[in-house]
Parts: sequence; structure tokens; C-alpha cells
Amino acid sequence: MIDQLGNGLLLGIIISVASVALSLLYGVTRIVNFAHGEIIALGAIVTLFLSGPIDSRVLFLDRFSPLGMSFVTSAIIAVLLCGAFGALLELFLFRPLRKAEVGNIAVLVVTIGLSIFIRHIYLLFATGRVQNLPLDLERRQTYLFFEMTPRNFKVLIAGLIVMIIIGLFLTFTRMGKAMRAVRDSGELASVSGINSDNIILFTWISSSMLAGLAGIFQAIINDVRYNMGFLILLLIFAGTVLGGIGTSFGAMVGGLLIGIFVQVSVALPFMEGHTEAKNAVALAIMIMILLFRPQGIFGQKERIS
Amino acid sequence: MSNSLIRVHNLRKSFGGVKAVNIDDLAFKSNELTSIIGPNGAGKTTLFDLISGFQDEDEGQVFYKDKNITNIQPYKVARLGMVRTFQLTKVFDRMTVLENLMFAGSEVSNDSLLQSIIRTPKQKEYESLLMEKAIKIMKDLNIEQMSNSYARELSGGQKKLLELGRSLIKNPEVLLLDEPLAGVNPKLAEDLLQKIQNLASQGITILMVEHNIEAVMKISERVVVLAEGALIAEGPPQEVRENQKVIEAYLGTGDE
Amino acid sequence: MKLPLRWAVTLLLTIFSIYLVFVFNEEGPLRILINLLTFAGIYGLAAIGLNVHFGLTGLLNFGHASFMGVGAYVTLLLIPHAAGREGEITESGLPFLLALLIGVIAAALFGLLLGLPAIRLRGDYLAIVTIAAAEIFRLLVRDLESITGGVYGIINFSEALQKYRPAFLESFVSNYELNPSQVWVGLLSWTSILLVLLLLRRLTNSPWGRALRAVREDEDAVRALGKNAVWLKLQSFMLGAGIAGLAGVFLAFNYGSLQTTTFVPLLTFYVWAIMILGGVGSLTGPIFGSIIFWVIISETDKLASLIFENANGQQLAGVRFVLVGLLIMLLMIFRPSGLLGKKEELLLNVK
Repeated sequence: MIDQLGNGLLLGIIISVASVALSLLYGVTRIVNFAHGEIIALGAIVTLFLSGPIDSRVLFLDRFSPLGMSFVTSAIIAVLLCGAFGALLELFLFRPLRKAEVGNIAVLVVTIGLSIFIRHIYLLFATGRVQNLPLDLERRQTYLFFEMTPRNFKVLIAGLIVMIIIGLFLTFTRMGKAMRAVRDSGELASVSGINSDNIILFTWISSSMLAGLAGIFQAIINDVRYNMGFLILLLIFAGTVLGGIGTSFGAMVGGLLIGIFVQVSVALPFMEGHTEAKNAVALAIMIMILLFRPQGIFGQKERIS
Repeated sequence: MSNSLIRVHNLRKSFGGVKAVNIDDLAFKSNELTSIIGPNGAGKTTLFDLISGFQDEDEGQVFYKDKNITNIQPYKVARLGMVRTFQLTKVFDRMTVLENLMFAGSEVSNDSLLQSIIRTPKQKEYESLLMEKAIKIMKDLNIEQMSNSYARELSGGQKKLLELGRSLIKNPEVLLLDEPLAGVNPKLAEDLLQKIQNLASQGITILMVEHNIEAVMKISERVVVLAEGALIAEGPPQEVRENQKVIEAYLGTGDE
Repeated sequence: MKLPLRWAVTLLLTIFSIYLVFVFNEEGPLRILINLLTFAGIYGLAAIGLNVHFGLTGLLNFGHASFMGVGAYVTLLLIPHAAGREGEITESGLPFLLALLIGVIAAALFGLLLGLPAIRLRGDYLAIVTIAAAEIFRLLVRDLESITGGVYGIINFSEALQKYRPAFLESFVSNYELNPSQVWVGLLSWTSILLVLLLLRRLTNSPWGRALRAVREDEDAVRALGKNAVWLKLQSFMLGAGIAGLAGVFLAFNYGSLQTTTFVPLLTFYVWAIMILGGVGSLTGPIFGSIIFWVIISETDKLASLIFENANGQQLAGVRFVLVGLLIMLLMIFRPSGLLGKKEELLLNVK
């Protein structure tokens, strides 16, 4: 059980970071970005490509020789690249859609189409194989109550630090306050002289960078797959719903809790032999919450449609 | 207080720290035409929302015919006989005027899925009676010529009329009209006002939120004044007009 | 009879697509066409169900595959079949029609189950819930091996339907070297489409249809007029789910075996692409969208294998989905009314 708790924290921290990223984006743009998962995957895949040997049957890249960069450098470049990708998405896709006043429902469907598109581009380039980052194997050690590899422990700490930084940023910096203003009052913010276009662009970049980071964490702890983003996306939704849509703090807490629930559920008696269904537990929790307390733990009571 | 049709008690509602409605006691008598006035942001529409169930109160109760309707869903409130209109008209754009009315007038059992698959003669008869009723209302409101036009093609004033018509076809006991004259040209406004007065004399209880003070003074039997969510005056129109607090509340915002 | 432009274009494109099948396939084009038309019929039926959700009612359902799956599994488990690793045989069962009816109702009830928590909330919640539910369905089906056969699936069930295959079909089929079972399934799918469309047309012009359209226009006004908007949406959700269940059954019979890999999100995305292509809100749109879509998909498969020589099977399948994703995006952005949707009827500009 304790073991699973440790795994749960690790999974949870990844979901947290990704959830906060999604929640920030949603708060400022009101878009539920289904392609969020693919940005997460992008972080992992770029890191993989830059740092390690790759399958030779990658499309068009038969003769690609891996750059073999240091892991840390690859990771940093990957995060930046994700940020750039987010900026491109905003500038060339979502901003034009916003200016054309395309409705939210249509945009949502576009993000779904986008996610299908990107994910299968990944399939073409990264193949369907499960791949791992070129990192040495480590032995598990004990930290407090949990046993995990030193690297995973660093990921946990890094994740927590990131969350603290985000929290501080949102509370104390001017940009952070502006983001919260846009989130809380939507149109009013543009009246009071805040340039929402810039804030939205900034949000896309930071959300994408966070997503990429979450992807790298996931790659470190587990592996890299072309559909890793899609797999985790549902857990991210569950985390966000649990914590409360519209609050970053809620997303953080919700993400952690979902990660813990998922892993801990493996230890439950009725789950024996069905460990792959652990995700279903998280999803079932999410549906239950929507049934009884749709605003989640920290959210505000949402008006019915 | 039992001769009051609608009664609110300790009603509070806040949005993000701002008190939108903050009323200790307020009652509306049966068969009366009451106007609710006050500067912008006074909480008039929120009061309507709370009474009709479109918003949940933070505190307090709403009573209709002495029955506690505080947390009932809006469609149930409407079924009890209280029909409301909206500040920004909510006509069904991509349906014809006739369809708008027939939908409103159709009772729930007529809308049933099963009935619509098995078209019983009874349903056909019901529908044709419904259509007659709708036509009568359209004639009454002078929009009969738009019967087969899509609602979105109507002018602003005609949309207000349609919304009124939709409410009327339900034979309501109470009408909550939210700014029925807003954006309507003066001639039409006069007609509308006359209609509202007729409805009142037919026995329908009317609560009307309006900014058009002249209209309010002309037809109201009673006026309720809200400012910053609280009740600051109520009584016959002339009395309220001369009330010092009311004048102060409007000073600076100006009356229309 | 004057034909609106979009109808003319649609019919032309459809005929052209069918023509392309003959152009690109020198060997046995008819066989390929029938195969394609059968899939088109099944998916078209599913898309009609989805259209009830999205086009008629504005509901965002991204778990459509699970409705199809519920219909299929329930029906199949009620007729004679063999399931699981050991091929455990269940010899007796209900007559096909009865099993089918129960399967369709089960799918509708599954719709009720999903709709209850989510429909009273905002649209995006339903999208998330349906995706989540589809995932739970997929996992459950895979893990409850004793019931569903797990990853080994269900087989040997076709007889229950094929025994009703009419004699005239046999003679027609033998002349052209076609697969009689498939032709039968295809025929039934298209007949179902016809019946369902007739039903839907009756409904859209009825008081119920009127109520649903009002809900689509403005829910608050609907409530202010004493109608339960949520219940109306739920009914529509159940109706679309039932139609999907029917399509799911046909899909299973078309394959002849039921696998856990059949009712997956990719299936849902195909149906979405078909619905959007055909025209959201258009009753007959899904039919044409389905035919044209399937031609595009099958022919690009060939193109893809030519271009990407060293790609494996899974990657080639990926090309299909790259296209599907692209199609969905481009349509939603540039031509959300698809082939037959009416621009004025578009719900999509509602914020």
C-alpha cells in the first residue's frame, strides 16, 4: 500500500502539473484543449529524439543519426520547443478562430481533430513502440516512507517546486494577477485596459511549457509512447474536475489525489488481476463527482448550462 | 401576510462579494400590477431570477401561495403558474413565430416522445386547437402577418411581443416581465403598455421591472424601489415618486 | 424538381467517389464496392445517431463507440455464440430480433446512465464524461473475460442472423463472387437507415421535435415556459444511443467476430468525421458523408502504402487518422455545414 502511495505521488505530480497547465489555459481562454495531451507527449518525444538513439524505422528518418545530447539539455530544449509550439497554435489557429468569433463548441471539436492529427503524426515518426529515455537504471532508495529511485524522487521534488512557483507567480506577479483577472471576469478585463491577446499568448506558451515538462516527467518515470498524451488526458480531466474547474489550486490538489487514487486502487482486493483497469477507477470517481458535486472540492458552484 | 401571492423573506444573494439582493421582507398581492424600479445594478433582475428559480439564493426563502418554492427548479416554478420574460429577448430564432407560440402553449404530455411517434387523433385535435389559440394571440398582439417567419427576422419590438405572447398562451397566473419596453419604439411601447394594463385587469398578477418611469407611473398600482440590492421604498406611484430616499438613489444616475 | 446546389454537389461527389472505386481497383471492383458500401451503411447509421445528439440537440458526445459496443455485446451475448479463450459455447439463445431489441434498449439505457450526471451541466462536461465512459467500457469489456470473452472476443454468432438470409440474395451473389453474409448485413444496415430516417423525419416535425429544437435554441426560455429541458435532452440522448447500438450490432455481424479492439475511440472519431462531412443537422447527410468518407479512407490507404514504403501496418493506419484529424479540423473551421448542412441551421456559432 505504501509502495503504491509513492507511485501515486509520482503519477499525481505529473497529473498536477499537467492539470494546472490545462486549467490555466481553460481559465483564460475558455477552451477545453483536447490537444493538451499531445503537447505533453511532444515534450517527451522531443527529449527522446534529441537525447537518444531512435528506432530506425522512423518515417523519412532512416538515416537520422541521433544527436545524443545530454539529457538535461534535451529536456530544456524540449520544454522551450513546446512553448513555441503553443505559441504557434495560438497565433495561427486559435487566435484567428477567436477573431472570427467561432463558437466554443466548434473550437472544442477542432481541438479534438487536432489531437487526432498530431497524435498520429507522432505515430508515423516515433512508431507505436514503447521507448525509453536513455537514462541509467537506478536502485530504489527510501525517502521518508516511500521507496523510489533517486531520479524519480528528484522529479517529485521538481514537480512540487514548479507548483509552488506557479502559485507564487499567480498570486504576486502582475502577469499572474492579470491572468486571474481575465479568468475571473472574462470580458470585463479587456475593458479595464488589460491586453487579453497578450495574456492569452502568454498563457498558451506557459501552459504548453508546463505540459511539455509534465511529459518529460512522465517519460522519466515511465516511458515514451506516441499516445501517452491521450492516455493521461482523461486522468488530467479527472484531476481537474475533482479539484474544481477554474481554480489552479484545485487542479493541483485534484491531480495529486487522482494520481494517488489510481495507484492505490491497484492494492484494493477487487482489483486483483485487473490492474490495467486502475484508470477506470479514476474515471469513475470523476463521473461520481459530476453527479454529486460538479464544482469539485474547491470550485465555485457552476450554473447549470 | 396570507393574502400575498408571492413573498420573499431574508433574501440574500451575492456575487463575488457584492450584495446583489439583500431584502428582509417583500410581498406581492394577487391581482396587482407592481413595478420594480431602481438604478442599474440595483438587483431587480436578480430578484426575478431568485423568485423564478433561475438563481439559487445564498439565504432566505421564496413563497408562492404560501408554498415554499425556494429551491425549486425554474421549469417547475413556471408550471405553478409563474411565467417570466427576459431582459434580452429569448425568442427561438430558427423557429417560426407560430412554432414559438405552439411550443409554449403545448402541454408537457403533448410533447412526449411516444406520442409524437404514434400520432393519435387526440393529439392531432389538440394541435389544431393549439394552433387556433396561437393565431388568436398573434392577432391580438398584431404579429399575425409574421406567423410563418423565423423569429430572428422580427424587429426588436416584435420580438418583445412574441415573448409576451409565448407567456400568455400558457394562461399564467403571474407574469414577471423583465423590461418589457426596453428598446421598443414609443408607439409600440404605448400599445404594449396598454396590453399589459389589460392583462392586469383580466386578473393576471404582474410584476414588471422597468426603467421607463413614465410608463411605470402610468399603469402601476404599486411601485417597489430597489437600490444596491436593498428595498428602499414601496407604495403607490405618487408616494414613491416623492420619496426622498428614492430621489437620492437616482441622483447621479439620472432617470430615463 | 429544382435541386439546391448543395444537393447537386453532394450527389455528384458521391457518384464520383463510387466511380473512383472502379478506377482504382482493377480486380474485383464490385466486391470492394459492396464491402465499402456495407461499412458505409453501418457507419452512416451510427452517424445518424450521433447527429441526433449533436445536430438536433447540440450535445457533445465523444463516446459514441461505447453505445455501439453496448448494443453489440448485449445482443451477441443473448444469441448462440462462443466466447473467451476456451471458446466456451453458449448453444441456446433468444431469437435474433428479440436479442437485437434488448441490445438497442440496453444502449439507450447506457445513454441514460451517462446523460444523468452530465447533461444538466455545461456542454464540455458531457464531452469529458462520454470519453471517460467509453474508456471505462473498453476496460471493463477487456477485463470481464468470463462474460465478454475478454481479449479473445466472441465468435460463432453469425448464424443467428444469417439463417434469415433470403434466397434471392444467394443467386444474385453467386453471379458476382460476392460474400453473401456481408451483402445481407449491408442490406439490413441500409434498410435500417431508411427506417430510422423515416422515424426521425416524423419526429422532427412533431411536438417532441419542436420541443427539442426549442431546447437547442434557448434552454432558459424553455425552462421559463415550464418545460424540462434536461429531460428532453436526455430523451434525445437515449434515442441517438439506441441508434448507435443498432449500428454496433451490424458492425459485429459484418466482422463475424467481436474484438475488444472494435469499439474504441478511433471508431468514435470516424463517426464524427462522417457526421461533420455529411453536414451537421442534416438527416440524410450522414449517408453521403459515409460513402465519400470510406472511399477517401480506403483509397488513401493504398496511396499511403505506396509513399511510405518502410512503414509498418500500424503506422499506415496512422496515416488514416492523420487524415481523419485533418478532415475534422478543416471542416469545422472552413465548412462546418459539411455537404448538406444548412448554414442558417448551424448551432456552432453559439458560444
